[in-house]
Amino acid sequence: MSSNLQYRSPYTVVDALPPGYSRRPAGEPERATITFTIDGQEIQAPEGIMVVDAAKYGGVEIPVFCYEPKLGAPVGACRMCLVEIEGIPKLQTACSTPVRDGMVVVTKSERVVEAQNGVVEFILLNHPLDCPVCDKGGECPLQDISYGWGGGESRMVEPKRHFEKPVALSDAIAIDRERCILCYRCVRFSQEVSEDYQLVLLDRGAGAHVGTFDGTQYIAPFSGNIVELCPVGALTSRAYRFRARPWDVEQGGSVCTLCPAQCNVSYTVRDEQVMRTLSRENAGVDDGWLCDKGRFAYEAWESDARITTPLVRQGDKLMPARWEVALTAAANILKKSGPRTAALAGGATTNEEGWLLRRLMLDGLGSPHFDSRRGGEFDFDVARTLANPALAATMPDVEWADALLVLDCEPVDDMPVLDLRIRKGVRRNGVKLAIASARPSSLDAGATRVARIAPGGAEAFTQALLAALGDGGDVETLCENAGADAAEVRAIADLLAGAKRPVIVWSERLAVTGRGAAPLRAICNLADRLGIAAKDGAGLLEVPLSANARGLREIGLLPTAAPGLMHCDNPGLDATGIAAACGEEISALVLMNTDPLSDYDDPTAWSAALAKAGAVISFSTWMDAATARHADVVFPAEVGPEKDGTVTHPDGRIQRLRQTVERAGEVNAGWWVLNELGRRVGVDLGVKVANQATAQIANHVGIYAGVTTAELGGDGVRWQERDAAANLPRPARTTFDLTPPPAAPSSDGYLRLGVFRSLWSGGEVVNAATLATLAAAPRRVELSPVDGERLGLTSGDAVTVKTGDGEMSAVVALRDAVPAGFAFVSADLRLDEGDEAAVATLGRALASTEERSAEVTK
Amino acid sequence: MSDPRPNRYQLGPDVVEVQRAPEPGVGRSFYRAFRETLRGLKTTLGRFAEGTVTIQYPEEKTPVYPRFRGRHKLHKFEAEIDGTAGLEKCVGCSLCAAACPADCIRVVAADNDPENPTSAGERYAAVYEINLARCIFCGYCELACPFDAITLGHDYELSDYNRSDLIFTKDMLLDEPAERTPLRREGE
Ligand code: SF4
Ligand code: SF4
Ligand code: SF4
Ligand code: SF4
Ligand code: FES
Repeated sequence: MSSNLQYRSPYTVVDALPPGYSRRPAGEPERATITFTIDGQEIQAPEGIMVVDAAKYGGVEIPVFCYEPKLGAPVGACRMCLVEIEGIPKLQTACSTPVRDGMVVVTKSERVVEAQNGVVEFILLNHPLDCPVCDKGGECPLQDISYGWGGGESRMVEPKRHFEKPVALSDAIAIDRERCILCYRCVRFSQEVSEDYQLVLLDRGAGAHVGTFDGTQYIAPFSGNIVELCPVGALTSRAYRFRARPWDVEQGGSVCTLCPAQCNVSYTVRDEQVMRTLSRENAGVDDGWLCDKGRFAYEAWESDARITTPLVRQGDKLMPARWEVALTAAANILKKSGPRTAALAGGATTNEEGWLLRRLMLDGLGSPHFDSRRGGEFDFDVARTLANPALAATMPDVEWADALLVLDCEPVDDMPVLDLRIRKGVRRNGVKLAIASARPSSLDAGATRVARIAPGGAEAFTQALLAALGDGGDVETLCENAGADAAEVRAIADLLAGAKRPVIVWSERLAVTGRGAAPLRAICNLADRLGIAAKDGAGLLEVPLSANARGLREIGLLPTAAPGLMHCDNPGLDATGIAAACGEEISALVLMNTDPLSDYDDPTAWSAALAKAGAVISFSTWMDAATARHADVVFPAEVGPEKDGTVTHPDGRIQRLRQTVERAGEVNAGWWVLNELGRRVGVDLGVKVANQATAQIANHVGIYAGVTTAELGGDGVRWQERDAAANLPRPARTTFDLTPPPAAPSSDGYLRLGVFRSLWSGGEVVNAATLATLAAAPRRVELSPVDGERLGLTSGDAVTVKTGDGEMSAVVALRDAVPAGFAFVSADLRLDEGDEAAVATLGRALASTEERSAEVTK
Repeated sequence: MSDPRPNRYQLGPDVVEVQRAPEPGVGRSFYRAFRETLRGLKTTLGRFAEGTVTIQYPEEKTPVYPRFRGRHKLHKFEAEIDGTAGLEKCVGCSLCAAACPADCIRVVAADNDPENPTSAGERYAAVYEINLARCIFCGYCELACPFDAITLGHDYELSDYNRSDLIFTKDMLLDEPAERTPLRREGE
């Protein structure tokens, strides 16, 4: 494993820029360089950083427990970092003293050593020292610091404090309160980073301990991070409990591909199995955090539910088959259907797999019908405008914007780690946040402005914003159409207009509303109106609907565009078109890492389409509904740590996946399968090792020209910052004429129905023991307490939600934030038999802006 | 042309006189010929008197020094303190594996069932294997163990027909050493 994907020691000299940054975000203030003295050596460091960090510039290590820059301002809770500073009589905490010009710091004097010994002894007073049974042993800062800075002996002969241990803090985390050194890291994470406000320090003095206020489980989307934060073995992962020691394992760096956030991860591998997933901090991507889905998904990959052999349909059963048999069967299907084959790709499909699939379809079968988008019109000028590097916001830009609009997007569900980045910006850098969403967002609390819009009203909202910014149109009518409050819209317009660095985060959902590219045109106009291209640090960030949507689009897995968003002479059918043409123009379907029945918005249409498609070939990790019911040949798909290839982050960062474990069972590499299929249908895709496909992309995709895995390294590279970005074709126009948006859906006296997809869905969640309880939660319908009272419903009631064309069962959750008159239903499409009607209803409600109302009854 | 330098190396008349001892007599000659043989014979005859010292291995064995490092043993608690008797001392901490310079110990730990514990700690060794074909009997594992759970014993009879049979599992290490050497039976 190459060193650039490895764990970074926190004690190396910090670079001028954090890993993953290619430039300092425009909003981040410059720091002057100062000179100070530490242990007799004169060194230079940026002004105002803490002495602990400044010391690293001179290679001096100061021990810390509670200090963790990721958590924000230091708290000085542990006193481990005491140093002597000339001119100050008492010892100072280096973690919370900013460095100043001419400061003289001593870290090795007798006084300091005595203080360090004292602090270690004090911290160990009540510590059980059960290192042999403690999971932190071997990678424990308390062990290291006791060894390096402790006196070596304890004078404590009195009994130590005792707690019951270990106690389950949640399904994911065990807490051993005896080992806790009360550093506050976990509490600060919960209070100030993820802002779920669940963890607190209970009691005081010797009785102080960490827990939730009312003793309930700590359930939050980012809870796993506290395990990594805890500097001792007080918080440990239950899934990793006792599975390995640091010297039993290897770390392998890769990228999580379960959502568009594409966090950088490091897999802990023992005996060719992933034992746990750790964050591999990349300031340009994830800021060092992971969500629990990414952290615990490895449990699912080990589960029996995973498909690990090729399957071929015999009768109505899918039976395990040898590779040769499955490949031949698939090749026969492809040969027979030839140019009448269609392909859809999604999810974790890498750029390489997408590229080879494209070539298999075009060069091998002569079929232009393949798509990686969920539907919606593809407009070249819009796509090229939105890809314009000058309009692109980076992840750090989100945090340093001065005004941030989150448009029809719930980051915690759509791109979880973005949620933490936004919270960080709001809390620490004073980002003014504006939210425009139908369902109350978890970011509302920190927002300066919140505009509630009607489900599907995002396009009208954007136009209303444009009107308020002086782009013509009547604000009141447009606001009416959007279901939004005009005063709020005007306030958001003022906020954005007055900003030096406005950033707009919008969801790809806007592209699949059934209104074609119209909503995106409005976004282009908004970018133009706000002068984003000319403003440093301003930009747009699209939150795609699948993990590598951006990469697949850019390498040309589109029916209507050639690689690099170039013009294409022979357009094929897009996803919606394919669904309509199945059984007629299309006689076979290739599904790569996608289940149209739960990923796409119109499951009813897809259900019919799949039934009519002559044959279906599926690359899948799980027995999802489409695979189980319709696939004729199933190829087992690789999961994250088994993959080699590249993916593209929503902000344009091309990142590298590296294989860290053997593929499970008989799983073969995706590129290998595609290459073999190509050979059998008579085209040589020319791939014998994974990065030959990368090389093909580098040769044929203009905007990725010349990219190599070596260049990507461990941190990835944003293509907008490479010279090849000049190969992006210029759009003919960057502003567009807008069509008036549809009127707001009326509710006919019923509740207005909105649909949301939660983070806790998919095979990775259902099959991971740690996450399964979250996934098993019944379908929720969120109502306002006003409607709850009117309908005589309280939280937890089982109800039936009736819409125009179907009904489904759900459990009521009353939320204060839900506006009266709305009902929001979670669309975690678990397609159990019999759930079909609900799924169809939900799917259409997700997709359309049409009239959609619901009746909720007990 | 003659060499102008003086020739310092010309040899003069070289006469060597050899001094010889007087010829020995018969008795002295005999002694000189057989002195060492007789000394050897003296030792041989002397040992006759001491009796046999051959150890009839494998029926008989050489005693080893008390600190001899032979095959490992894993220990259980014997004394009844806090109900620990019969529990394994090893908690599966892997420290021995970390200390082992030959990298021949493999520990896979697991969560102890408090109702039906295997060890006295929170965890226990679900798998504990030592590859004795690789072990160099340095004893570092014994030094590393915080619970005196593993010690090196006096058993040195470790040859086998199969390399994989030299990977000792936890059960083998917990047991007394098996009798591995074929002994001659009565009458054989
Ligand atoms: S927290 Fe660290 S020092 Fe404490 S028992 Fe665990 S390994 Fe040992
Ligand atoms: S549980 Fe860990 S992170 Fe939390 S206060 Fe205790 S030592 Fe710190
Ligand atoms: S005696 Fe030495 S080589 Fe043998 S298992 Fe123990 S530590 Fe390893
Ligand atoms: S034998 Fe000792 S050192 Fe080895 S795993 Fe068991 S308790 Fe730990
Ligand atoms: S690290 Fe400075 S007080 Fe804890």
